[in-house]
Amino acid sequence: MGQVFLLMPVLLVAGYLSLGAAMENQRLFNIAVNRVQHLHLLAQKMFNDFEGTLLPDERRQLNKIFLLDFCNSDSIVSPIDKHETQKSSVLKLLHISFRLIESWEYPSQTLTHTMSNNLNQNQMSEKLSDLKVGINLLIKGNQEDVPSLDDNDSQQLLPYGNYYQNLGDNDNVRRNYELLACFKKDMHKVETYLTVAKCRKSLEANCTL
Amino acid sequence: MMWRDTGLTLILSLILSVVAKGARQTPPGKPKVTSCRSPEKETFTCWWEVGSDGGLPTTYSLFYRKENSETLYECPDYKTAGNNTCFFNKNDTSIWVNYNITVVATNALGSNTSDPFDVDVAYIVKPHPPEKLTVAVLEDKDYPFLRVLWEPPRKADTRSGWITLIYEIRVKLEDAEEWEISRLIRPGNILPVFNCPILVHPAGQQKMFNIFSLHSGGFYMVQVRCKPDHGFWSEWSTTRSVKVPDYIHRNRSVWLLMAILSAFIFLILTWIINMNRNSLKQCLLPPVPGPKIKGFDKQLLKNGKSEEVFNALVVNGFPPRSTDYEDLLVEYLEVYVSEEQELALDGKDLQSIGCLKSKSPSDSDSGRGSCDSHTLLMEKCGVMEPKEESSYEEPELQQAQAGNWVSLDRGESWVDSPNTSNGQVNTKPLVFSMLIHGSSNNQYHTSPELPKQHTVPDNVFPTTPYHPNPEYMDCPGKCNQYHLSQSLSAGAHQLQNPNDFNVPCLEGQSEAMGLGLPHSRSMEYVEVQKVNQENQLVLKPLSSHSHGPFQPLLVEAGEDYSKVNGVNKDNVLLLQRKRVMAEASQSCDHQVKEVECKQQQGKTDTHRSVTTQLQESMCPTTSGYVDTASMMLTF
Repeated sequence: MGQVFLLMPVLLVAGYLSLGAAMENQRLFNIAVNRVQHLHLLAQKMFNDFEGTLLPDERRQLNKIFLLDFCNSDSIVSPIDKHETQKSSVLKLLHISFRLIESWEYPSQTLTHTMSNNLNQNQMSEKLSDLKVGINLLIKGNQEDVPSLDDNDSQQLLPYGNYYQNLGDNDNVRRNYELLACFKKDMHKVETYLTVAKCRKSLEANCTL
Repeated sequence: MMWRDTGLTLILSLILSVVAKGARQTPPGKPKVTSCRSPEKETFTCWWEVGSDGGLPTTYSLFYRKENSETLYECPDYKTAGNNTCFFNKNDTSIWVNYNITVVATNALGSNTSDPFDVDVAYIVKPHPPEKLTVAVLEDKDYPFLRVLWEPPRKADTRSGWITLIYEIRVKLEDAEEWEISRLIRPGNILPVFNCPILVHPAGQQKMFNIFSLHSGGFYMVQVRCKPDHGFWSEWSTTRSVKVPDYIHRNRSVWLLMAILSAFIFLILTWIINMNRNSLKQCLLPPVPGPKIKGFDKQLLKNGKSEEVFNALVVNGFPPRSTDYEDLLVEYLEVYVSEEQELALDGKDLQSIGCLKSKSPSDSDSGRGSCDSHTLLMEKCGVMEPKEESSYEEPELQQAQAGNWVSLDRGESWVDSPNTSNGQVNTKPLVFSMLIHGSSNNQYHTSPELPKQHTVPDNVFPTTPYHPNPEYMDCPGKCNQYHLSQSLSAGAHQLQNPNDFNVPCLEGQSEAMGLGLPHSRSMEYVEVQKVNQENQLVLKPLSSHSHGPFQPLLVEAGEDYSKVNGVNKDNVLLLQRKRVMAEASQSCDHQVKEVECKQQQGKTDTHRSVTTQLQESMCPTTSGYVDTASMMLTF
């Protein structure tokens, strides 16, 4: 009996601590989602601006070539539909997001910026670095999961994929188009993953598995 | 034959047309993929439009390739979404994967392939409109507002965060032409991005929005639509209508209240002003104070009891003792008459007198102050005009001590006060300050306040506007005396401002003051004979010879003059009455005559009356003083 009474406050304290931790977790998620949404909007704007500068002929040509695998993040295996995404654990989602952001951290400097975009190249890289740090924090905060094997496998792949392979192309317009399209897509991916992960970790009943 | 030919042609044309019809069979025209849309980012549908079918039954088929493979797949479902559509279900849909879609039209004669259409499902999301829209009117302190509630479309999975929607509401009054669109509403706990609008706290999945500032009694229609972060707007939901009940416009009532209040305040103010009308008049338009003689009762005068009137004027402690005179004589007497002046005074015309004085040899400012200043002199010069009519009355200047007289040349007594607008104001106290025997009551305020001190000068001098008259004497020479005497007198220390010494001359106007001074060039003394109606000192010069109308009363100090005892704190000139009764009476008579003479020259009756009154005041008693201040007030 006495032991039970001793345990009670301990449990309460633990409960409060976990609550605090959960709230902190949510806060970090909120910030991360916020930032990635912003990045996605930026990427979309950049892409649209660039497309606007193209001639109609070029646009048609580029659309046709879009079929090929040219994004540098294609090596990173990521869920491509809702089912897969919901099947993945939060930690896995965080890892994938981390890698995606990392893969763009330096190549983003080569992204062309049209006149309407006020960001310079370094700023984009900084934003990505900041987001990477945030995701890292989240990973550490959610590390209670047992790391699964498939996560380990994917971590060993080169982060930058075939980015450098495609650098040799001289067609700058095509290259820029591809880069911008890939960047936009990856940002959308990360946004979705983080939102799903946040929702799953959320205290509210809105987000359910 | 003709109709046979026509008949043949007809038959031929018919045959040809039949043949042509049968021959118009071509391969189908090129179809075109118009659009693909996904309602929830899990499935999607593509629409295509057909070209010409070539006259033959044509079939359409859709083929697609996914991003990384060359495998050609065919549309899994042609039926679900309707004609000329292809529906991709969840299993066949991959997000962030590029689909390359083509449609092929096939008929018996051939086929035709459309242009390829690339699509990424992540960017073609167009959700269904929001559901369960409800609008209700809620009260908030006489300000009703609309509360709009809705739910996201059923299929969109916002719950798990797979898709995030933002909403937009539009409102319209029934008879208005255009819709009013609200800001974008982003629900959930996400911090606003790019200054996105307010957060809405959902109850469950329900989104909420409040609309304020309604028209009283209006009939509102509300619609809502949604959009994923990166996608297309949904269609507007069904319209919900609501009627706002009538309520008093706060604005109007506030204005009404304010109007009433201001009217009330206005009434009160007017009433207050009306009540204090007189005092307001006093304040805004202060009356020009008349001369005042302390102790002089108007009523008593009216009653005709002169005894009482004059008794009231008696002040003890006057006159000063004769032992003081010597001191004063020594102190105050400073006669400075330059040679030029003496010459001038002896018979030159007035103008030259004034002008000469500017050249008087003297050091810069010894004792004469600015009397001898260039400007002063020039002004005086300019002022001097020979005046024919000489209302050369004999002003009688009451003198306190021998040295303290206002010596006037014939008919010239004026005060130049270039520094003050009201020249009279400035000078008057100065003059009489000299006449005052070191009274500690010399509290008249000089220079800075002179212009304001209407009382003092008014008491002593005429207050009518300054008329430069040729009869008035130029003062510079006299100024010297005044200046020094002032500096010496205890009570006149205030007068050391050189400005004041511009005017230590007796000011007056010929008619007003009655300074009908004889044109003698020598120094003459003036007695204040009376105070006329316009509060002007009627001075009478005193000459050594007592013959003739203009007999100066000055022989010795203190005998025939009213001595100014002092100026009390009310700036009242305290004059002493004549000591010698007999002489006074004589002089009184004398004065009367003189005054009457003056009267004959065209003075108003008031003057006469004034004179008479003055006469009375001055003659009867042997002691006491004449308080010119109070005396003047009565006039």
